[in-house]
Amino acid sequence: MPLLAVPLFLDPKLEQPLTSLLTSPRFLHDLVDGLGSPLNVVLPDRIVENVSRFRSVYRRHRLEGEICFAHKANRSSALVRRLAATEAAMDVASLGELQHALASGFTPERIGATGPKEPEFLWLAARTGVTVNIEGHAELESLATLVRHHGLPRVRVLLRLSDFSGTGVKFLSRRSRFGSPASELTGLLDACGQHHDAVEVIGVSYHLDTTSLEEKALALEGCVRAMDECRARGMRPRVIDIGGGFGVSYLADGAQWERYTSQLTSAAMGRREALAWRSHSYGLSSEGGTLRGSLELYPSHRSLAGADYLDELLRTPAPTLGRPLATLLLENLYDLCVEPGRALLDQCGLTLARVLETRRESDGTHAVSLAMNSDDCALEEHGILLDPIVLHRDKPWEAAEDTAEPFGVHLHGNLCLESDLITRRTVFLRRLPARGDLLAFPNTAGYCMDFSAQHAQRRPLARKVAAYRDADGWQWRLDDQYWPIHSAGDAHEV
Amino acid sequence: MRFESIIETVGDTPLVRIAPHVHGLQNIDLYAKLEFCNPFGSLKDRAAWNMVRPGLSAAVERGSQIVELSSGNTAKALAAIAGMHGIGFKSVTNRMKIPEMREMLLLLGAEIEELPGQSECLDPTNPEDPLTLFHRSLDEPGNTYLHTDQYYNARNAEAHETGTGPEIVADLDGRAPDWFISGVGTAGSSTGVARALRDRNPKVGVVGLVADKSDFVPGIRNIDEVQEVGIFDPLTYDTIEKVTSAEAIDGLLTLVRRCGILAGPTGGAAYFGAVRYLRDIGPQLTEPATAVFIVCDRVESYLSYIRKRRPELLGLRPRNDSAASVTPEELSGTAAVGVAEAREWMAKERPLVVDMRSPYAYAALHIEGSINIVDELFADLVRGGLPFSKARPVLLACPVGEQSLRYAALLTRMGHPNVRSLDGGIIAWRDAGAPLVRE
Repeated sequence: MPLLAVPLFLDPKLEQPLTSLLTSPRFLHDLVDGLGSPLNVVLPDRIVENVSRFRSVYRRHRLEGEICFAHKANRSSALVRRLAATEAAMDVASLGELQHALASGFTPERIGATGPKEPEFLWLAARTGVTVNIEGHAELESLATLVRHHGLPRVRVLLRLSDFSGTGVKFLSRRSRFGSPASELTGLLDACGQHHDAVEVIGVSYHLDTTSLEEKALALEGCVRAMDECRARGMRPRVIDIGGGFGVSYLADGAQWERYTSQLTSAAMGRREALAWRSHSYGLSSEGGTLRGSLELYPSHRSLAGADYLDELLRTPAPTLGRPLATLLLENLYDLCVEPGRALLDQCGLTLARVLETRRESDGTHAVSLAMNSDDCALEEHGILLDPIVLHRDKPWEAAEDTAEPFGVHLHGNLCLESDLITRRTVFLRRLPARGDLLAFPNTAGYCMDFSAQHAQRRPLARKVAAYRDADGWQWRLDDQYWPIHSAGDAHEV
Repeated sequence: MRFESIIETVGDTPLVRIAPHVHGLQNIDLYAKLEFCNPFGSLKDRAAWNMVRPGLSAAVERGSQIVELSSGNTAKALAAIAGMHGIGFKSVTNRMKIPEMREMLLLLGAEIEELPGQSECLDPTNPEDPLTLFHRSLDEPGNTYLHTDQYYNARNAEAHETGTGPEIVADLDGRAPDWFISGVGTAGSSTGVARALRDRNPKVGVVGLVADKSDFVPGIRNIDEVQEVGIFDPLTYDTIEKVTSAEAIDGLLTLVRRCGILAGPTGGAAYFGAVRYLRDIGPQLTEPATAVFIVCDRVESYLSYIRKRRPELLGLRPRNDSAASVTPEELSGTAAVGVAEAREWMAKERPLVVDMRSPYAYAALHIEGSINIVDELFADLVRGGLPFSKARPVLLACPVGEQSLRYAALLTRMGHPNVRSLDGGIIAWRDAGAPLVRE
């Protein structure tokens, strides 16, 4: 099949206010003119909408409890400050994130600390009174010692559990480096009893790196059983924290994704031309006419993601107790805590890059060089496939454009490295970008924007701005200059 | 018919003609090969036995466990065979989407391991692909697994090349059919049957059916997944077409309701695919022709699959005395009492307090003196009439006071003079600091 016979578009899913921002090319060009390429734009008002989508799932199931933003997914101040003006809580995974949350307006009872913790992080968490997710015995011991040694107030803790077992069927779940095996709960609770003066167990938690509802249902039921063991010891725990991993659907059209992955399979089998730079095939290979390996890509189109995924999980029957998980939580009088990162950042921003050069290659594709490198927009690192949008300076981008002559391009970064491609995939574009145009990579706020960004070749990090709309149209501030009082409308609902 | 072992009853399944007025095809006789007549219930019995046979006596001697990547019928057959020979069987799967099948395997004494779902935080450098791990564990020194390897084992297709295929030819008086239609799962049956038929008549048309990528039809892989199958060779098929789960159930319904053939969705998909493919071909024929499709297994294991997709096919009509039939007027006319009022009432009139949460939640914490009737059981009870004496006041309690209000309204309609609902439920009770006990 000739490369361009059937263009394999992967149109990004776009919702407001991202859609409207993309129809303001002049505004975006002015921003990049003034602040340089690449440039990250975050949309603080959208994260409020995402919190309310999660909350409405809680309401539907009559559940109470906190919706915590997993800060690690984006460093932005604007987003955290905007969240501080809502009812949301924060999940912090480092000393810096804890300081940032406190400085952005979160009071300690709205903050939970997770992940690997240095003594300094533990001290500030205990001193201010944030909830601490305990990863295991050793951490419990060091926290208790710290509390006694420094005369700190009693710390509220969640016990993070892993390796749940259940139903006669063994799940070969991925091994996690976090949490204590559920089978060792008894010993952990003994220790909590000994440290009764230093810690108060308010509940248990899990985080599983999987998209599988069945695995999560097993873990959630395991948590309910663990809570029962706490109650049998006279504790009164209330919170089950089920972590994050609700996912985002990046693409508008599931059929495009299915067509694309089928063609990727064909390419790996040698039945069509390669679909990526140097015949990269994303983990697939052919061995004697049979497909081997597995697709190493984020499922870029998901029919069930974000708040809808939570809804489905809560409707799933508990594997051995049989009741829907929401009912099980409710009738056992437990609060549900979630920690979405990526899902709360859905549609909350984009990354802009200036086109430096477009060159036609001998195979008919075009090489597009960008003033940005692959760490500035870590789509490839996270296995996310979506098409960027070409923004000419004065012509507004529209969703439906001429598709008669699509262009196959490779997007090269600005590092002096052969391997620096923003995506190794051959990207099909409806318009050929030219020097000076911008490419907009939508929906990069979750992990892609700044998680991996670094100073290679003494290049500056991308600047970040918060964009918001008022009666006069789009406005912007540098990310660290933004406070919720700057957004128009309902900035103060709590 | 007398047999020494159940294994001897594998194969020799009937070929049954589908009545022309049912399929409506012109000039074509359509036959169903009823593989559900095999002793363990499916087409897979043939391949399972053929694959396991060479290594079986050694495995029995060493006490090996049979292991296979299977979500269903192959696992079922292997579990039965393993049990007959006093050895274990382990099924490793990421596709066990049929709850009845899972329970059936557990009943047969199988061990089941489920592969994890896709990673949410992608790690492109992760060397631990679940399937790679599985294969590595088979290769570990000292392991004694008997791995039947259905996706790569040539004896899978061979079972059908020497069994299923020749049986079809024999039943058609020594002639191969003009078309053969089959779902593609391990590709074993379609590959083997196609070989046997083409041996007799190279012009046999073979239609392979695959599932839509966003869909799930038991026993059938999608167009990308079939590429992972070692036995699969695209040249086996003259054409490969897609079927959806909705079409599979439509086909199943025709076979079940009009032909007396109690086929599962895999057979339903094959029937649907056969009729769809042949519909336009029939009128162009000048001579009569024949076509054969395979009915892989029976419908009974798939009731939950059907319930999920076409609940109306299994639905009961709503009964009169159900909580769902309560009207808004009835609801607003029902007494909901707050925690303080309820405690006062309980002290004074000693109503029967009914906690409608599950026994598990009730056992953990409840109102002292209450009894536990879980909502599902309560719904069954009230269908038969009032379950309490009218002389005894009743306080219903659920987690948040919604369901209890519905049932209080229903009991009122049914004539109970003094039934109330705990407003805000057990959660409000706890939040008000009222006592909950664990006994």
